[in-house]
Amino acid sequence: MSDVSTAAENAPSPTTGASPLLKVEEISVRFAGVHALTDVSFQVQSGELFAIIGPNGAGKTSLFNVLSRVYQPVSGKVTFDGHDLLRYRAHQVARLSIARTFQNLGQFPNTPVLDYLLLGRHTRMRSGILLGGIYLGPTRDEERKNRAYCMHLLELLGLERYANIPLKLLPYGLQKRADLARALALEPKLLLLDEPVAGMNLRESEEIASAILDIKEQLGVTQILVEHDMALVMGIADRVLVLDFGRAIAQGTPTQVQADPDVIKAYLGEEFGEKAVSGGNGANVALPDANDREGA
Amino acid sequence: MAYFIQLFFAGIAQGCIYALIGLGFSIIFKASEVINFAQGELLLVGAYVVSAGVFEWHLPFLLALVAGLVVTVLIALLFERIILQRMIGRPVFSILMITIGLDIILRTAVIIIWGSQQIPAASPFNTISGINYGGVHFGANDLWTIAVTIVLCAVLFYFFRYTRYGLAMRATALDQEAALAVGINIRTIYALAWGIAAAIATIGGVFLAIDSFAIDPTFGGAALIAFPAIILGGIDSISGAVVGGIVIGVIQLLTAGYESHVASLLGAGIHEITPYIIMILILLIRPYGLFGTRKVERI
Amino acid sequence: MSLTATEQKTHASAQPPRFLGSRSRWLGFGIGVLLVIMFFSFASEDWFSIVNYTMITAIAALSLNVLSGYAGQISLGITFFMAIGAYTAALLGGTPPTSPLDPQGFGLSFLIWLPAAGVAAALVGALVGPVALRLRGFYLAIVTLALVFIGQYIFMNVAPITGGPQGRSFPIPGFGDLAFNQQNDYFGIAFTAGQQYFALILLVLILSALFVANVMRSRAGRAFRAVRDHEVGASIMGVNLFEAKMGAFILSSFLAGIAGALLASYTSYVTPDYWSLTLAIQFVAAIIVGGIATIWGSILGAAFVFGLPQVIDYFSLLPTSSNSGGLTSGNLNALIYGALIIIFLLFEPEGVIGLVRRIQALLHKSNRAKAEGGEPAEIIDLSSGPGSSVNLEDAAPVKGDSE
Repeated sequence: MSDVSTAAENAPSPTTGASPLLKVEEISVRFAGVHALTDVSFQVQSGELFAIIGPNGAGKTSLFNVLSRVYQPVSGKVTFDGHDLLRYRAHQVARLSIARTFQNLGQFPNTPVLDYLLLGRHTRMRSGILLGGIYLGPTRDEERKNRAYCMHLLELLGLERYANIPLKLLPYGLQKRADLARALALEPKLLLLDEPVAGMNLRESEEIASAILDIKEQLGVTQILVEHDMALVMGIADRVLVLDFGRAIAQGTPTQVQADPDVIKAYLGEEFGEKAVSGGNGANVALPDANDREGA
Repeated sequence: MAYFIQLFFAGIAQGCIYALIGLGFSIIFKASEVINFAQGELLLVGAYVVSAGVFEWHLPFLLALVAGLVVTVLIALLFERIILQRMIGRPVFSILMITIGLDIILRTAVIIIWGSQQIPAASPFNTISGINYGGVHFGANDLWTIAVTIVLCAVLFYFFRYTRYGLAMRATALDQEAALAVGINIRTIYALAWGIAAAIATIGGVFLAIDSFAIDPTFGGAALIAFPAIILGGIDSISGAVVGGIVIGVIQLLTAGYESHVASLLGAGIHEITPYIIMILILLIRPYGLFGTRKVERI
Repeated sequence: MSLTATEQKTHASAQPPRFLGSRSRWLGFGIGVLLVIMFFSFASEDWFSIVNYTMITAIAALSLNVLSGYAGQISLGITFFMAIGAYTAALLGGTPPTSPLDPQGFGLSFLIWLPAAGVAAALVGALVGPVALRLRGFYLAIVTLALVFIGQYIFMNVAPITGGPQGRSFPIPGFGDLAFNQQNDYFGIAFTAGQQYFALILLVLILSALFVANVMRSRAGRAFRAVRDHEVGASIMGVNLFEAKMGAFILSSFLAGIAGALLASYTSYVTPDYWSLTLAIQFVAAIIVGGIATIWGSILGAAFVFGLPQVIDYFSLLPTSSNSGGLTSGNLNALIYGALIIIFLLFEPEGVIGLVRRIQALLHKSNRAKAEGGEPAEIIDLSSGPGSSVNLEDAAPVKGDSE
C-alpha cells in the first residue's frame, strides 16, 4: 500500500477520535483453494460512512459475509462495539444490531413488504410459538406496535402503498428500497449495504444516495457500503477501502484514494471507463468529490 | 461356515439388485439433479409386464422381458418429456412430490389392471437350478444377477468413458450451462438418462421378482432400500451406487440370516430396517455419503 | 434531489390481519355456524362418520402443513408421529389388561390421554428434530421416510403397548360411563355417537386451526416462512434456524400426535402396519392439492384425499374394494389425487386455495394496487425514523380493534 493510504488508515477519522465501532484485523478467507481475502485490515468509526470498492471478485462480498458470520475466516480478528464478533454465529449478528441488505434480491419473493420489515424486526420482538398461538395479550400488543412502527418506516421511505404487496411484484428499484427499509427496521448500529444501487438508473441511484446520507446525518447510523458505482462512492463516502484480488490496496478519503497510484493502476484506469452500468465517467474526467453532493 | 458363505453370496446377489436400482437413481440424479421416487414403481410395472407377457400372452421369457423394458422406458421418457421438462428450476420439494405423484399413478394403474393380489413372477429358471459346491447352493438367479450386473457395469463404464453420448452425459452432470454452450442437446441427455435408468431398474426388478417368486403391488417398495445404498455410496457417484448397493445387500442378508439369534433381544424384522439405520448413521456423520462430493455454497 | 415531508396517516394495513375483519368475513362465519348447527342436528350417522373421519385427517394435514408447508421441512414421516400419539393414548386410556397377553392400559380419561398423546409425540419430535435439522431436501425426506419404517418395526415388536402384529383396540373418549361411541343423554337431550364425536373433533380442529393461524400471523410464523424461503437470508436477519426448525417440528408433532390418537380411537382397532408410508404420502398429497401453507388448504385437501372416497362409497358409485382389479373408489381416488399432485405442482403450486385466490383476484381486480405504473413515492425525511428517539408507543396511532 502506498504512503498516502497508510497515513490515512492510521489517522483518526474526521468524526471522532474515539475507539472505532468496527475493527477488522488481518482477516483472511479461503475456500476450495481460492484466497478470497488476505490479511485485510480496516477500522470504521461510529457514525461514519465507509465504502469498500474493488473490481468483481475482489472479495467485497466475502468481507460482508465474514461480518455476517456466514463465512469463517482462517485467521484474523473482528471487534464490533467491544464484542469479539468471530465468536458469534450468523443469527446472533442481528441481535448485536448489525443489519445487512442483500446484493441480489429474490430470497423472499412471496413475502409482502410489511411482513418483510417485520421479519427484519425479528430480534426486536419476543413472541414464540406458545404466545403466538394464543395471540391475545402480549403477542397482539407486540404485533400492533411493531406493525405501526414498520408502517411508519414504510411511509418515510415512500413505500406505504406497497405494504401488502409481495416483494416479487415490485419493480426492482422499489425492492431494493424495501430491503433497505427492512434493514433499518432492525434499528441497527451498523448498516451493511451490499451494492445498494446495483442495476439502478441515475435517478434511482440518487434517491438511494440521498437516503444513505440521511441515514448518516439524521439517524447517526454507521454504514459500510460495498459498491461498484464509483461516482456514488466518491460522492458520499467519508473514507474508502480499495480491495483487489482479496487484498487491501488503499485506504483513505475519496480524494486520497483517487490519487493513489496503486488504485489507478489496478482499477480506476481503463476498467473504470468501460463500466457502463455504473454510469461512471471516462478515465480522464475528474470524479465528483464529497462537495458535489447537491449537484448532478 | 457354509451358512455364512451362503448368506454372503445371497447378499451380494441382493446387493447387485440394489446396485442396479441405485444406479437408476444415480444416473438420473447426476444428469438432472432429480430424485425419482417413482423408480420403484417403474420396477413394479416392468415386473408385472414381464409376468403378464409370460402368463397372459404366453410369450417366451426374453420377449416378455423386452416388452417390459419397452413399456418402462416409454413411461420414463414420456414422464420426463411431458412433465419434468416443465419443472426445471422449481424447488426440490416440488420435483420430489411430482415423482411421488407418478409413483401413485403407476401403482394404482397396476392395481386397476391386475388387482391387488399376488401374481406369479415369470422366471426362466426352475427353482433349484444352480451350482452346488462345498455345501453351498449358488442359485441360478443369483448367479445371473451378479453376472448381468457386472456386464451392465462394464457396459456403462465403457459408455460413460469412451462414447460421445456418455461423455456428453458426464459433461451435463458437471455443468449444464457449459454443456449447453458446447452444443450438447440437454433434452436428449435427460431422455437418455431416464431411459437408461428405467431399463436398468426393470432388469433389477425382474431379478428381484424371480427371487420373490410372486409379486404384488407393494413390490415397488423394495426400491426404497436403494436409498440407503446410494446415500452410503454418495448420491452423485455411479460407482458409489454399486458399492453401496452391494454393501447394503450383504449386511441385510447377514442380519436376516443371524436374526434368529438376536430375535429375542431385537425382535423380528430387524433386517428390514438395518439399511435405514445405517443410512441415518451415515447422514449424521457424513451427510454426503462415502463417495459423494461436498457442495460448495456460494452466498 | 430534494426531500419533502408529508403527514403521517393511520393505515388500515398497519393493523395485524384479523380473522373477522370485514363484513363479508362475518357473513361467511355466520353461514358457517348455521351450517354446522344444521349438520349437527340433522345428519345421519353415516354422514357423521364421513365428516368426523375427514376432520381428524384435516388435523393431521394441518400438522404436516406446519412442518412442510410453512417451515419448508420436507417430511414423509407424519404417520410415525401419529402412531406415537395413538399408542400413548392407548397406553394411558386403554382398558386394563385382563390377561397377560393383552396390551397395557391404565383406563384414564380422554382429558388426559388426548393431550398426553400430543405431548408424547412432541417430545419424540424434539428428539428427532436435531437429526433432521442437519439435512435438507432429499436427505431430509429420506430420513423421515426411514422413520416410518423404523417406527413400524418398533411398533411390531413392542406388543405390550401396541399389541404386536395383531394390533390392539384404542380407548373411546367419554365422561365416565358416557362413552362417545354410544348414544347418551346430556342434560336430558339424547345425543348420538356421531354427534358426540363431532362435537369433540370439531372442537379440537377449531382450536388447532386457530392456534396455527395465530402462530403464522406472528413472529414465529414469519420465521418459519423465512427459513423455508432462504435459510441464509433468514439467519442474517436474526432468525435462529435451529430454534425455528425445532419449533416447527415440535408443534407439528404435537398436532400429529393428537390426530393419531383421535384417528386410532375413531377406528377403534388398529394394527401397526396402519401407520404406513402410503398413508404418510396421502397426507402430503392432501396438502399439495389443498394448498401448501394454508389452513383451509389443509382442510380441503384432507376432504379431497380422505373424505371423497368415503362419499363415493356412500353413494355406491363404485365398488368399495376388490382384489381382482378394476376401478374402485379407493383406486379412482388415488389415481385422481396422484394426477392432481402433478397437475397442481405444474400449474398451481398453491393448490385449490391458490385457484380460489386467483378467482377472487379476478373478481376483485381493483384491490390490487398497481405496482407497475405511476411514480414511486419519494423518500421522505428520515429524521423521525428509527434510531432517533421515537418510542414505539408514539408511532402512528392504531384504531382500537374489537378482537
